[in-house]
Amino acid sequence: MRETKLKILQYITGIALFFFVGTHLIISHLGSEEVTEWTSVADRAANSGWLVFYIILLLFGLYHGIHGLRTIILEALPRLSVKSLDFTLVIIGLAIFGYALYIPVSAF
Amino acid sequence: MTTNATSGENRHLPNRLGIKGWIWGGNYTIERYLYTLHRITGLGLLLYITLHLVMNGFRLGGAESWTDLMSFFSGPGFKFGEYLVMAAFIIHALNGGRLILQHLGYTLGKPKPPVYPYVDSLRRRRPILWIMLFIIAALAIYVLVEFVT
Amino acid sequence: MQDLTFRVQRYLPGKDSKPYMQEFTVPMRQGLTVLDGLIYIKENLDNTLSFRSSCRMGICGSCGMLINNFPMLACHTPVEELNTDTITVKSLPNFPIIRDLVADLDPLFEKHRSIDPYIVMAETGDLNKLTAQFLQSGEELQSYLQFAYCVKCGLCMAACPTVSTDEFFLGPQPLCQGYRYCTDRRDTGAKQRFEKADSGHGVWLCHLAGACSEACPKGVDPALAIQLLKRAMVFDSLRLRKKPEPATPAQPIAESKPKIEVPEFTVKQ
Repeated sequence: MRETKLKILQYITGIALFFFVGTHLIISHLGSEEVTEWTSVADRAANSGWLVFYIILLLFGLYHGIHGLRTIILEALPRLSVKSLDFTLVIIGLAIFGYALYIPVSAF
Repeated sequence: MTTNATSGENRHLPNRLGIKGWIWGGNYTIERYLYTLHRITGLGLLLYITLHLVMNGFRLGGAESWTDLMSFFSGPGFKFGEYLVMAAFIIHALNGGRLILQHLGYTLGKPKPPVYPYVDSLRRRRPILWIMLFIIAALAIYVLVEFVT
Repeated sequence: MQDLTFRVQRYLPGKDSKPYMQEFTVPMRQGLTVLDGLIYIKENLDNTLSFRSSCRMGICGSCGMLINNFPMLACHTPVEELNTDTITVKSLPNFPIIRDLVADLDPLFEKHRSIDPYIVMAETGDLNKLTAQFLQSGEELQSYLQFAYCVKCGLCMAACPTVSTDEFFLGPQPLCQGYRYCTDRRDTGAKQRFEKADSGHGVWLCHLAGACSEACPKGVDPALAIQLLKRAMVFDSLRLRKKPEPATPAQPIAESKPKIEVPEFTVKQ
């Protein structure tokens, strides 16, 4: 039941993202402009709580997005091998995760 | 699972709607087009996240590089784009919540003997959809007001 | 009454490279169905027009067509309900066209067959060896009865957005029928159907667009069946699914009333 397990993860990350992305958007986009100023960004980068928050957000967001993209690709190109598509998407996902993780970790 | 489902297409004229069928397949009601909207907002958010992560890389360049980037993105065009991202998130999140509930069989009711005129489970529970759309509209308007003021 | 304009899709393999539309004028009368209009065209205007129909009363599922951009049974669609004088009739989308309005439903039947649409009795034995009927409560019957009304007309497959691109996606009809048997207490084949529906082109490519249930001419509601199938698969995957009690055969009647004796002849032979 591989596909079912992947879908359960999609649901769990979806529910979690509702709160994580919601919090992120309220703070960064609906808050005052000071939030995006360098001092504020640097303050959050030095905080371990925010670091964990951003890593979870990144991990869940990447999984949810890439799984959704996989579904669309499978439907649009049904003759594509599922295994090779999964392999490609995992490599792309890991590369993005590595790059995106490096930014907050190096600033911490 | 792969079946010989395409065998007919080898013998006869294929007549699949293709990707056009995702967007407009015929005279259907609201769920069919919420499906399209969910897909579009999902792809939009994924594109935004990719650009957002690239943008985050500017933090490595220090304060000056970051401040330059923020001033570049402070124009009204980018603000509108930011609002679209918020709206896409609101739609995708709330509709996604409905989908999770209904994919797991909640809020759909039990099977009922089909008595004419037939009403399917989604149409029986249409008020749930209207409530969801009302919340989406209210949040989208609230965020718009916040952005403008 | 005003005449109707039928815009009918034509395609003759070997002659036409692609389908085209042809117009016919059909006299309106009360109670006219789209199928009646097509029969009028065939009998009076162009006998080369090809379409499939049989029972003319929405039971056989042969005359599924795309009527004014919505998949419907032609025999089940009174022209008056369409609220227009121009009726566009095309072959069902997502199915190959054999000729004119005749869609090839083979892909539907192949997928339907692939999901084991019959009662599997691995534990309780062969159906043929049973000595008594199974007992089933009204509630148990209700859990699948709605889904058993499927006539395999293919309208749900024509309406499904996933089927429009993915030729391997099982589709609403087979998935609905898969669930219909999974929820039947006499059946023990749920696991094997779950495995089949769990593929990359299985049940998880349904995104609840709801078009299948909207199009179904028999009120079968395949969208509901598919969501209930997903629920059963998620619960099964998390080991939360209650194993349904196997159906029990009815007990043989222990005592029977004594036979009534045949009275003796009152008339001497």
